[in-house]
Amino acid sequence: MSNQGNNRVPEQIQEKGIAVFRPELRENKELERFRVSVKNGNALARTKTEIALYAAVCLAILLVPVFLQDAFLLNKYARYLVFGMLAVSLSLSWGYAGILNLGQAMTFGIGSYCMAMMLKLKTVPVHTGADGLPDFMVWNNVTELPWFWTPFYSPLFGVLAGILLPACVAALLGWFVFKGRVTGVYAAIITLAAMVVVQLVIIDQQAFTGGFNGITDLGQFDIAGITFDAYGSSSYYLVAICLTVTLFLALAITKSKTGLIVQAIRDEEDRVRFFGYDVALYKIFIFSVSAAIAGLAGMLYTIVMEFASPTFLGVPLSLSVVIWVAVGGRQSLLGAMLGALIVTGVQGALSESETFLDTWTLIMGLLFVLVVLFLPQGIAGAFASLARRFERQRPAPARKPVQHTEPVPNGREIESTR
Amino acid sequence: MEIFVSQIMTGLSIGSILLLVALGLAIIYGVTGVINLAHGEFVMLGAYAAWFLQTQFGLGLLASLVPIFLLLALFGWLIEALVIRHLYDRPLDTILATWGIGVMAQQAIRLTAGGELRYVQMPKSLSQSVNILGATDSAYRLFILFLSLGLFALTWGIYRYTSFGLKLRAITQNRAVASSFGINAGRLYRTTFAYGAGMAGLAGALVSPLKSVSPEMGTTYVVDAFMVVVLGGTQSLMGTLASSGILGELSGYLAFYSNDTIAKALVLLAIVVLIRFRPQGLFTARVRA
Repeated sequence: MSNQGNNRVPEQIQEKGIAVFRPELRENKELERFRVSVKNGNALARTKTEIALYAAVCLAILLVPVFLQDAFLLNKYARYLVFGMLAVSLSLSWGYAGILNLGQAMTFGIGSYCMAMMLKLKTVPVHTGADGLPDFMVWNNVTELPWFWTPFYSPLFGVLAGILLPACVAALLGWFVFKGRVTGVYAAIITLAAMVVVQLVIIDQQAFTGGFNGITDLGQFDIAGITFDAYGSSSYYLVAICLTVTLFLALAITKSKTGLIVQAIRDEEDRVRFFGYDVALYKIFIFSVSAAIAGLAGMLYTIVMEFASPTFLGVPLSLSVVIWVAVGGRQSLLGAMLGALIVTGVQGALSESETFLDTWTLIMGLLFVLVVLFLPQGIAGAFASLARRFERQRPAPARKPVQHTEPVPNGREIESTR
Repeated sequence: MEIFVSQIMTGLSIGSILLLVALGLAIIYGVTGVINLAHGEFVMLGAYAAWFLQTQFGLGLLASLVPIFLLLALFGWLIEALVIRHLYDRPLDTILATWGIGVMAQQAIRLTAGGELRYVQMPKSLSQSVNILGATDSAYRLFILFLSLGLFALTWGIYRYTSFGLKLRAITQNRAVASSFGINAGRLYRTTFAYGAGMAGLAGALVSPLKSVSPEMGTTYVVDAFMVVVLGGTQSLMGTLASSGILGELSGYLAFYSNDTIAKALVLLAIVVLIRFRPQGLFTARVRA
């Protein structure tokens, strides 16, 4: 045994080397560690810590208006929180299911337009007189309300549409893409192209969508007697509560059996398929949930911004979401959300001065490239591995024998299968 | 007849520009499998290099082509060495990293050269127009057409008849086996990337007299060029040639007969459907991977 141990030293060094230089093996190491920690009953404890962490952050977010009375700042922070929610939605599909959706803003924009259509119809009598047409339709010589606008007189329909319509669109797109087993880069390009198509159509159909200008001059959203003023704490609370709910909902999904299968698909799609799971169905599910969250975020964005614009479905926003999630850590919902808050927060703080903003874009590009290169799991991933290192130092004697009884040098195993 | 010829010529002109831009992208994607989202920014940098050489050193466009190619090739070489090299086994991340590079390049230009539109003078010798079968066309557009065909032929020749091209084809077919025969894949990838970047720079310099030069000009090109590559298939240069011809004529036709935005949306939809049902492109025969 001791002889064997001596022989294994160079091998171990080699394995270490491979694991350091080849990221996919590093991930494998993490899986290995995860298995070890499950054996030690750590998974449940970790989930509990996670829930506590999520709750603490959400509580902090909910408490902000108590200390802050400035309406302008509250509005700004509410906007950041909406972006945080959008980041959560992308983290769900990109980090957990491995579907890089470069068109996440598509569903965001659809949700935002649903809300805007509903709020626009609330203002109609005030702005355009008896015949009750939205102002931009009058300017475009539209004589009667198009059929797809009429149901938006009902607020309930408007809210439901803002969530369900994006989900349905995503399900349809997902069905088209994933049933054909289109994956990776090609799926990403399709989502991007689909978003641009929707944006072009919205811009082109000016008479029905307001074209380039979008839908402006909206009424205020109200529900159960509360009116949500964009510059008041009510809107902030609305956004914060929605964010909290989605965050925990998304966390629950990732911890469920479905969530685990989705993560397995991300890591080894074919293997899951061989086990008999309908891979496409799971992907469509998570893609639609992600879209529904993005739609909700879009609706809230309209409430906070008081307009809807085709830029909400634009490539710049969509790619910004990818940046936030990448910086924050795509495999952590909380990390993705905080990534969005940090990046947009810094951007907002610097936007006061023109030159700073310009340099900031440059720095952000650099930061992004560096994160992709060195921190594929983002800030959250860096923290997680730090915490793990810390954790490993404490119960070291208990852990060691477990690692020794793992006879499979995972480095070589992977190499032979690739 | 006149309208017909001029319509064909417009299509050919659009197609030749597409070919110029897509050639670099196709080589890079075909050989290394990297989707270079910064390609549009390489084009933009080429255009700015042309503008810079013209305004600062009084260098004519034709004389500055070679320096621009070398400059952009060097830039591509650096990008490959610093960033792309580490990402060959993470194809999704190359999209992100190259996009980040694109953002940086755009912003750097905006900071140094300013965000306003710039104009590059057309070479004097090519500024008149030529009469073909009753239709008139600018000599410069014809020049671009022939030059792009020439560059394509050159690239194809390198790919087909040099030992460098032979090695490239070997690597594209099977990297592991090729490497075990002593072919240095890393160096070939870097050279390919540099060559593709240089081509993009040439494309930018050549289109700069036709369109105004701005930091954002690259984004439209990268989408169009990517469509050419997808349509033509990633493994075949001939496919790139054919598909840029087709897309050029098609967009010329669509722009002439219908609404520009809807035409664009239709083309994008067609691409989506194409990726779904024929991800290997229209012009590639089924090969064993």
